[in-house]
Amino acid sequence: MPPMANSFPEEVLEHVFSFIVNDKDRNSVSLVCKSWYMIERWCRSKIFIGNCYAVSPVIVIRRFPKLRSVSLKGKPHFADFNLVPEGWGGYVNPWIVCMVEAYPFLEELKLKRMVVSDDSLELISKSFKNFKSLVLSSCEGFTTDGLGAIASNCRLAMMWGSFGNLKGCLLKNLTELDLRECEVDDRRGHWLSQFPENCTSLVTLNIACLDGEVSFSALERLVGRCTNLRTLRLNHAVPLEKLPNILSRAPQLVDLGTGSFSSDARPELQSKLAGSFGRCKGLKSLSGFWEVVPSYLPAVYPICSGLTSLNLSYASIQSGDLMKLVSQCQNLKRLWVLDYIEDRGLEIVAASCKDLQELRVFPSEPYDMEHSVALTERGLISVSEGCPKLQSVLYFCRQMSNAALVTVARNRPNMTRFRLCIIEPRTPDYLTLQPLDTGFGAIVEHCKDLQRLSLSGLLTDTVFEHIGAHAKKLEMLSVAFAGDSDLGLHYVLSGCKSLRKLEIRDCPFGDKALLANAMKLETMRSLWMSSCSVSYGACKLLAQKMRKLNVEVIDEGGSPDFRSDDCHVERLYIYRTVAGPRTDDPDFVWTMMKDSSLKPC
Amino acid sequence: MGRTTHSSSSSINSSSHPSLSSASSSFKPMTDISTNLSLGLSISTSSQHGNSSNSRNEEVNWPPIKPLLRSMLADQKRNYPHRSTFFVKVYMEGIVIGRKVDLYAHHNYDGLIRTLRRMFKTTTIRFPADIHHVQNDSDHLLTYEDKEGDWMMVGDVPWDLFLTSVKKLKISIAVKC
Repeated sequence: MPPMANSFPEEVLEHVFSFIVNDKDRNSVSLVCKSWYMIERWCRSKIFIGNCYAVSPVIVIRRFPKLRSVSLKGKPHFADFNLVPEGWGGYVNPWIVCMVEAYPFLEELKLKRMVVSDDSLELISKSFKNFKSLVLSSCEGFTTDGLGAIASNCRLAMMWGSFGNLKGCLLKNLTELDLRECEVDDRRGHWLSQFPENCTSLVTLNIACLDGEVSFSALERLVGRCTNLRTLRLNHAVPLEKLPNILSRAPQLVDLGTGSFSSDARPELQSKLAGSFGRCKGLKSLSGFWEVVPSYLPAVYPICSGLTSLNLSYASIQSGDLMKLVSQCQNLKRLWVLDYIEDRGLEIVAASCKDLQELRVFPSEPYDMEHSVALTERGLISVSEGCPKLQSVLYFCRQMSNAALVTVARNRPNMTRFRLCIIEPRTPDYLTLQPLDTGFGAIVEHCKDLQRLSLSGLLTDTVFEHIGAHAKKLEMLSVAFAGDSDLGLHYVLSGCKSLRKLEIRDCPFGDKALLANAMKLETMRSLWMSSCSVSYGACKLLAQKMRKLNVEVIDEGGSPDFRSDDCHVERLYIYRTVAGPRTDDPDFVWTMMKDSSLKPC
Repeated sequence: MGRTTHSSSSSINSSSHPSLSSASSSFKPMTDISTNLSLGLSISTSSQHGNSSNSRNEEVNWPPIKPLLRSMLADQKRNYPHRSTFFVKVYMEGIVIGRKVDLYAHHNYDGLIRTLRRMFKTTTIRFPADIHHVQNDSDHLLTYEDKEGDWMMVGDVPWDLFLTSVKKLKISIAVKC
């Protein structure tokens, strides 16, 4: 570092740092020298913690005394797919309790896959004087009572201090309440009516995941008085008849999640709907469409050309209606849809949506093995040919070929996220009956900036050799039913330089690859392995040698101590941490080496 | 960022761990190990069990679909006989986190009660129909929320009808009559 830099006064550096918003850049800044480290930590207002057990609240608070925004993640990603037993952990309350003391001016809290109790929500609502934004993604453990607490404490607090002296004024202006895919125990309370009448500050309200009915009058009044509302995502209990009224109160909406999109045939509703959609000229994002009746879809046609995001993953509409809809959405950047769209629908997407960046196609009948919809690799090829900006794909289908994957890879070297799920495990190339190694190999070889990859189909260790050799920017890899030996895992761990998260299920990967690459694990956020071939002995050994890793064996069948060391563990979760073993582990989680720090190795 | 010294990795390497000792005499990390690794594996026994024990339920929780979409698809298929699983959430009074139970894995109420007793490690879960037999305060009663959002007593309708209307289950502490 040039000596000059040290001569800047702290205030100047602090000001300079304020322009550096990216987390990684801030981390780099703090590594330059001791004084930069100190200055940076005192002015850091925003933090992202990818694993709530990787650090303790005390350590965070000690280093960053002035945080205003905290993002925290809990359970492993595979929890989304039911692979993490209920009660595993990820409790936010210890964090909230500490932050209430340390950060009375906290403004934003984003939690993902965490257990959030009503008590935590109440504490949040009462403690943070400037609280603005609560985003809960895939969280659980709370009820609508907790949401009621958040709502009722969202108000303009009384001004204190003398009038005119706004310094002493506390404004509790909740702007964002965003519940994404949470499991909320819905107590049918009229929690929405707990938003006080003087709460007008909401910009985002997402309640799409709620189960029960909401109070329509409270909803309508709330929407009506929050004139800055941009995002409103309703749940399926809001009937279509209510939508025109809601829309007419919020013509400024940018992002709308409709409730139920069905109704008993009422001709006047159709025109009323079309009228109110037509007045929402700023709408860019549409989702919802629960229980959709296709005859109401033309109501959204007037705003289709302005849409950049369309989520139809809850909309069971057949190919023909989908084609009519998407062909009008020529500015789409993101499209989520069920496989009802079929190959011919994706051809229309390819021809119409030239700005498309992200495509997700979900299975309408994931548990039936028969082909009921005509969605194959051809749809993916069409979109890869027709949409030059496509960089993120999640695609569920029932057949794939190496040739198709090679074509997709050549068409879209700009791909950064590629997740392919062939529904039947270990499905080979349907044309040649060969493994899909070459196809996925082409993806990693051509897409140099690939950050996220999910594999499926019949795959041997060869695919992992390709991945290790080419996927230098890969950060997250998901693997299921693949590989033949330890070699597969070894290629990945030794080759993928940027790998941060690796999740594996049902693969014959075992001790040797894991132990040989033990050092690599310290550079990663986490490794999940379930139904693999890792022995209990290897888990103990790994924990003994790598003291900065928590090695958690998850087994609901009782203590692995009663079995022999070469028994395979059911589930294994390994993550680096500066906080040591966690103390809230349930009785089916065994953290290796816990309470044995004094034992000789 | 902590970087562990070389000694730790070499000590893993030279360890006396049983599954390593058979194969690992020349197994070094981060070097050109592919030949060693494959040689090692050929005499390893480690990849043989594991898979066979898991194979019967290997396709559980596959394909990977998030819960909200999963339940939407389930609702949609509710009346289709060929669906294979039907998960509903079960809450027990006093326990914050619910669990899930696959109703299609059961054929009658008795089987369901047995599963729930195992799941919550209690023998005192009873049908509300047995309410007059409630012996003590630790007895639990099984109720369910139906499509309309009302809480009903489990056992009030035939099993098949129950399957068409149940949304979630709750086990609550019985109040002595």
